Amino acid sequence: MTPPRNSLMQTLRENWLPAAVMLFLILFPFIVGALTDSSPMGVARGDRMVMRGESVRWQSVLIEVFILGILAMSYNLIFGFTGVISFGHALFFGLGGYILGMFLEYTGMDTGLAMVLGVVVGVAAAGIVGLIVGFVSLRLRGVYFTIFTLAVAEMCYIFFSRWQVTNAEDGFTIGSLPAWLDPTQSRLNFYYIALALFAFTYLFIRRLVNSPTGAVFKAIRENEDRAQAVGFNTLNYKLISIALAGMLAASAGMLQVILNKKVGPEVLGVSYTVDPLLMTIIGGIGTFNGPILGSAGLHLLDVFFRDATITIGETSIQIANLWGLLLGSGFILVVIIFPLGIIGTWQRWRLKARGRIAKAARPDPSMNPKTEP
Amino acid sequence: MTEAILEARHLRKEFGGLVAVADVSIVITRGTTHSIIGPNGAGKTTLFNLLNGKYHPTRGQVILNGEDITNTPVYRRVHKGMGRSFQITNIFPNLTVLENVRLAAQALGKSNYRFLRRADSFKTYIQRAEEALDIVGLAPMAYSPANVLPHGGKRKLELAIILAGDPEILLLDEPTAGMASEQVPELIETIGAIRRKGGKTIVMVEHNMNVVMNISDRITVMHQGEVLSEGRPDQISNDKTVQSVYLGELYDLPGRQQ
Repeated sequence: MTPPRNSLMQTLRENWLPAAVMLFLILFPFIVGALTDSSPMGVARGDRMVMRGESVRWQSVLIEVFILGILAMSYNLIFGFTGVISFGHALFFGLGGYILGMFLEYTGMDTGLAMVLGVVVGVAAAGIVGLIVGFVSLRLRGVYFTIFTLAVAEMCYIFFSRWQVTNAEDGFTIGSLPAWLDPTQSRLNFYYIALALFAFTYLFIRRLVNSPTGAVFKAIRENEDRAQAVGFNTLNYKLISIALAGMLAASAGMLQVILNKKVGPEVLGVSYTVDPLLMTIIGGIGTFNGPILGSAGLHLLDVFFRDATITIGETSIQIANLWGLLLGSGFILVVIIFPLGIIGTWQRWRLKARGRIAKAARPDPSMNPKTEP
Repeated sequence: MTEAILEARHLRKEFGGLVAVADVSIVITRGTTHSIIGPNGAGKTTLFNLLNGKYHPTRGQVILNGEDITNTPVYRRVHKGMGRSFQITNIFPNLTVLENVRLAAQALGKSNYRFLRRADSFKTYIQRAEEALDIVGLAPMAYSPANVLPHGGKRKLELAIILAGDPEILLLDEPTAGMASEQVPELIETIGAIRRKGGKTIVMVEHNMNVVMNISDRITVMHQGEVLSEGRPDQISNDKTVQSVYLGELYDLPGRQQ
């Protein structure tokens, strides 16, 4: 446990890395703009801005990183800190997206009002669904719970791919967004909104996990029977963990549908469960920075190699076609080399190294004969 | 000294066709140390699981302080003053020794659902945990991960976890299980310290006869899911039936000191 924090400087000194990353992300659109000689605001055409140029393109890439990062961090709250393995995380992501989209397109309300209500109702609904699914299924232990969550998420996916009201498989486009939020009118605004939510999620999860409630989450992960025998109603805590993670995932889903300006059943697809799972495992289960590293790493690799081709003599290979294969092999390698994820294994190494240093530095009394009488 | 704190009334537990506990009635008197002994498979641990709520009995009742707690879940019995240690070491392996104990103190406090303050800003829980670690002699290891403790240390940690909850009644399931014999006197001393702290009732399942005969006020002998005999240590060691079914077998066990 750390000593009590008493000053802003001390807080900054202990958290220099997240603070530096945050500063970089705030300046990022302008840095890319300066490097590539493009405006972060896009290109002016007549009286409106067109979203073109390198800076704007990279803003989109990072917005996707933020969305996946929020999703992975929320997944890590259940999986890494509470020790409950759910395969239904896409349910929350997609539900958030669908509810916000339907408020914007189907209610005929003023867009600002629809936006606010959609966010509130969507987040609340995700929390409530989390509680209900958890309450019904958390009595099942281990793999049965996992299968149950997968089944619920898939049911939801099938429902929305058949439901005529939301155009079944085709989904629907979102046309009525408030101008300040619309990524096709101001990508930069939306970039900062997504960044703010990303930073909020990071800080919130850190605060939660270090709180008394978070201490119980970790106790459940370590040994649920013991946590009960010590006097905790573990079901309640698992429900809290799932509901909060569901709410965060729903907000990520909302960012996703705003970015794409489209809602379709793919937001409920199993890839929004598997991606955060892989990202968390690769980055480091049960660490604060792991899911962020995992989501940024995987998504950026995907972006870099999506269009790349390797030409060897006569044959040229499109990396995009091999992406799944590369990802799979990379995953196996990472799991073998970093069994606790990159951040988790690195922390373990550092602890071990410190232990060794501490032992070596311990003064040996025989080597230090008294010189003074 | 005759007030009952915990009572089992005609407890029975079946697992499918197997009757683990057939019909057990026990009265535990407040402030005493009550040992439950019996050969392997006599149903001692099952009885413990019935008393602490891990299992629900097929039949019968559990009464704590005059209140029927047969249907009360494990975690709520803890809040009613019942603490339990386990035969197989049961700790939070990757948390620090202090955090293991601090959680137990926190569990009985009122800030479990405070999720916006740091856990280590609640000083009383840390103090309680440190006191408990002092009693069992683990204070120097407070900041080590619990899984690096040697086996004896983990058994002591079990005790500290229960103590931090400050229960009225402690259920200790084989506190010396798997301990090297030279560590046993130290553990007896620790349990003695807990008894002297006053008012505590201890119910203990134990195989080590030295421990049982040394610190028990009363002994219940179980055999094949039933109570065979009950009495003071001197009565039990002179009981002919007990000697034949239990002590007789025990004399053959390796590693016993006499």
